Amino acid sequence: MKNVTIICLLLAGVALVAGSATAGDHGGDIHFTRPVEAVLFSHDIHVDQLGFDCDSCHDGLFEYEAGAAEQNGDFTMESLYGGGYCGACHDGETAFASDTRCATCHEGVKGYNRALGKTETAASHH
Amino acid sequence: MILKKELDMSRNEGLENLGSEERRHFLKMGLVVTGLFAGGTLLSLSSGARRVFASSGEFAEKYPYKPHYSMLIHVDRCIDCERCKKACAKTNHVPDYGYRTTILERDVSGALAGKREFVPVLCNHCNLPQCTRVCPTRATYKDPVNGIVQMNKSKCIGCLTCQMGCPYNARYFNEEQMAVDKCSFCWESRLSKGEALTACAEACPAGVRIFGDLSDPNDKVYRGIHQIEKTVWVLRPEAGTKPNIFYTRG
Amino acid sequence: MAKHASGGGVTLNGLESMVVGRLKTSGNGYYFALLVTGLIMMAGSIAGLQATIGGHHVFYGVTREVSWGILIAAYVFFVVTSTGLCLVSSIGHVFGVESFMPIAKRSVFLSIVTILAGFFVISAEIKVPIRMMLYNIISPNLTSNIWWMGTLYGVYLVFMIFEFIFLLLNRHKPALVCGFSGAVAGIAAHSNLGAVFGLLNGREFWHGPYMPIYFITSAMMTGTAVILFFHLVAAKVNNERLDDKMLRALDNTRKVGILLICVISFFTIWKIVAAIAGQPGGKYEAVMAMLAGPYAVNFWVFEVGLALLLPLVLFLKAGVKRPGMLLVASALMIVGIFIMRYDLVIVGEIVPVFHELGVREFSGLLSYRPSLHELVVTAGGFGMVGFLFLLGEKIFGGHKVSEEH
Repeated sequence: MKNVTIICLLLAGVALVAGSATAGDHGGDIHFTRPVEAVLFSHDIHVDQLGFDCDSCHDGLFEYEAGAAEQNGDFTMESLYGGGYCGACHDGETAFASDTRCATCHEGVKGYNRALGKTETAASHH
Repeated sequence: MILKKELDMSRNEGLENLGSEERRHFLKMGLVVTGLFAGGTLLSLSSGARRVFASSGEFAEKYPYKPHYSMLIHVDRCIDCERCKKACAKTNHVPDYGYRTTILERDVSGALAGKREFVPVLCNHCNLPQCTRVCPTRATYKDPVNGIVQMNKSKCIGCLTCQMGCPYNARYFNEEQMAVDKCSFCWESRLSKGEALTACAEACPAGVRIFGDLSDPNDKVYRGIHQIEKTVWVLRPEAGTKPNIFYTRG
Repeated sequence: MAKHASGGGVTLNGLESMVVGRLKTSGNGYYFALLVTGLIMMAGSIAGLQATIGGHHVFYGVTREVSWGILIAAYVFFVVTSTGLCLVSSIGHVFGVESFMPIAKRSVFLSIVTILAGFFVISAEIKVPIRMMLYNIISPNLTSNIWWMGTLYGVYLVFMIFEFIFLLLNRHKPALVCGFSGAVAGIAAHSNLGAVFGLLNGREFWHGPYMPIYFITSAMMTGTAVILFFHLVAAKVNNERLDDKMLRALDNTRKVGILLICVISFFTIWKIVAAIAGQPGGKYEAVMAMLAGPYAVNFWVFEVGLALLLPLVLFLKAGVKRPGMLLVASALMIVGIFIMRYDLVIVGEIVPVFHELGVREFSGLLSYRPSLHELVVTAGGFGMVGFLFLLGEKIFGGHKVSEEH
């Protein structure tokens, strides 16, 4: 059951990436949904605006395949604080520290649903 | 610390406009005024600094319940993973068309650093609840011991005046139970069974929701509010209901 | 006729044959109107019953945030009307202004009819009406305005019924006592209804002492419109010419109406100015929604145009001699006042409670649209008033006031 969910989430992630990757010759928007929903990594900002190379991250930190990092058991905030994954730069020196400005990267369930095209608001109808 | 950093980056509008009497008032309550910012960091969550402090100041004087259940929300830690919402719905059988607690999202376009903030909201278990005052049949009431605003569902006639009276949009009509439903700090499902935390507080992976007893000086919530480093505020202080959900950053 | 009823030896058979006899005197138009209003009333009952059993969330357009819809507005409208009928008619038969006497009976009867219509609509709005009957009595909350309002309106209804019975029996002393008590209960109940809205601290558009005061004044304004409308329609229903005394009573009602339109206009102006000056949070957004937002047509066309300005002009021009113009004016006014009540309820809810928080979810005004079922129940309330009015005209012989007192 759990595996099915993970596969579904991965497929959704892949579909999202495929949809938005057409914008440039980079990976587009990556929505990480594990361990929490959801974190948005924007290739647009990191590559086009900030001018990083593919090698900057895809040389040990992240696989090229979207969603691969999420399958690792250590894709957690603790790893980031220790300099892993995003934490390699987001350490408070190169870029803002991983334990600050949470909602800058965490788009949440709301942001993810928006990316999926769901228009759900808190203003329910009951 | 984070707050400090953010403050340094925002434009300080100066403290000179703040009267000395107000300053003293803040200090008396054990709160320090670090600045007035319009960029969306400090004051924008609530409608005015003076009213916020006037409200929480009164709390510093007296906590009428034992335990005085309360929640301190570290709003900047919230990442909208909504595990709280799911845990709440599961624990308290909240249907998909309603909610006892939810996360709101605000964009702070003018801010220099973070431009987004998630704001968890729930019943504020006010000391002067308007919902209980307006209920014609006393179907909703404030527990005289622990101060939780409760529902006696068999008495609810569904007039929804409590929904109108609530300044926090904390109530909804549960069609299955044929009564208004609301957050009870998980009293039935958890606290009365000896659990220390509400389902939402337990489910939160980011330490946003600190639940505890405001009448106990050793409690986390008490210590989170009775300090001078960080600003603490409440939502809709002008409604005058003396809420028990506090907000802070950092 | 009244004499006949007042006799001690009235038998049920006698009463029945009298009522049947009166109903038989009517023309086809009357029966048709009775049928139509009766059917509308039935449709409303069915819609209300269906929604109560099947769930309001399925059939009604109300939401978590806008939880009071057109049915609350209709309830407010009907009880405003009832209170107004009671208060304006009491000028004559309670406070002794002779020239208002001829409108007493029909007005008291209509005040009973309209409060019943109000109860009918609210029973379709309250989600669990069965519990209301029980727990209002065994678990009262004395700090709740809605409890006081409901209870006092119950007391009011009893007084009004007894007043009507005593008026029928030509027993003026007890009728006066009941009329006075009914007026007091009505004022207390109706100002409590104002307080249901006005005492909600978190709802800026409503909050303050304005609502209870406004409710009473606006009830009296509504009373004048409804008295004029139904007395003029009754003349057509009964195929009668209005006699001099009745004409004078209606003319005085018209004058009171002019005064009250002016008072309500004054109230409205200051309500708006107070909400614009200094742009008080919540109030300002709500009032702007009425002045220049989604409720501008409701406000300018219906509230200002139909409920206040047009009737004012027509009332001033009509005088005693032109009842047709009075009929049109009062009809327009009733329509306008209904929209007034609608706006009063809905606009108070469309500014979200978190409007100052700056969150996406509540960045603008909330919206509400009445569902078909809500509209049918509302229409059912009007159908009920029409049906009982028509029935009353025949059963009580045109509400004639006997000459001997």
